Amino acid sequence: MKHVCAVMCLLCVFRLEVARANELHIGSVKTLEGKVLILRQETKVNPVIGSRLFVKDTIKTGRNGSAGIILQDDTVFSLGPNSELAMNEFRFDPLKKDFSLVSRMIRGTFVFISGAIGKLSPESIVIETPDGTVAVRGTKFVAQIRN
Amino acid sequence: MYKPRNFTILLLFIFSLVGCCSGKTVIVLLPDRDHQVGQIEIRNKYGVSTLSLAGDAVSVKRGDAPTPILVPDEKVKQIFADALSSEPITPEKYILYFLWDSIELSPASSLFVDEIIAEARKRASTDISVNGHTDRCGSNKFNIGLSHRRAEKVKDLLIAGGIASEAISVTSHGEGNLLIKTEDNAPEPRNRRVEVIVR
Repeated sequence: MKHVCAVMCLLCVFRLEVARANELHIGSVKTLEGKVLILRQETKVNPVIGSRLFVKDTIKTGRNGSAGIILQDDTVFSLGPNSELAMNEFRFDPLKKDFSLVSRMIRGTFVFISGAIGKLSPESIVIETPDGTVAVRGTKFVAQIRN
Repeated sequence: MYKPRNFTILLLFIFSLVGCCSGKTVIVLLPDRDHQVGQIEIRNKYGVSTLSLAGDAVSVKRGDAPTPILVPDEKVKQIFADALSSEPITPEKYILYFLWDSIELSPASSLFVDEIIAEARKRASTDISVNGHTDRCGSNKFNIGLSHRRAEKVKDLLIAGGIASEAISVTSHGEGNLLIKTEDNAPEPRNRRVEVIVR
């Protein structure tokens, strides 16, 4: 019985891993400096350059940290020190004309540069901050959020 | 003369003021990499503010309406120094052209494949998009298949050059998303292509 349980558990873990691998990534980490963490579901991931990002990930930089990411539609975000960015929603399907980019700048300093979604469907971009919502018509901006 | 106790109370009073109202967001519009300036709008339940010129800035105190402010360039460079310097380099985009009704690259385009592989290596890219397209000759259904085979062909060439298969995502557009708009069934060599984006 014990053995059956162990095998079942292993199977479950294996299936979870497969599910993760098959889930579409939304972008990747391209620059890294100092301490940077990705919060993914209940786990913390230490990213390296090239690490993939998934929807619902939160990227956090420490006191000397900074990071830059590029999403699948070529949208760019970069974060200065003590910053936190949540990737709430991302859909980029030009064939079905299905677009969505919703993210939340929680604290810190940021650069945002819009990508293909900014050209094809700017109304699909929503950047939330604690003090208001930013609508973007294809451009670059910087934001500083103090709490 | 301040008594120490009064001074402490005064300090606490100041801290409480600062503490309750120090949350705020500052946003500055900048020109993008092509020197274009778009537009952004920041909105909350107290008001809305639109930025449309390079350097336009807005400050939003927590629980207050967005208010236009002036932020000198030097100040922008100072506050955002780390965020600006960690901005990734722009993705590189390539267009490879194909022979008519074929998954064979045009002679000129086949020369670019090595350059794409070198760029992907240089960036240690784990994120390469390979998007197949056709012109409008033939049925839409046939062209979806043809664009897929073209994209797979390019993927194979990249893998042969040492790029990991997991780093490559393939999409096929058929005759959707034409580079050059044409009538249906019009032959157009510039539409027979695979676009490769190396991030």
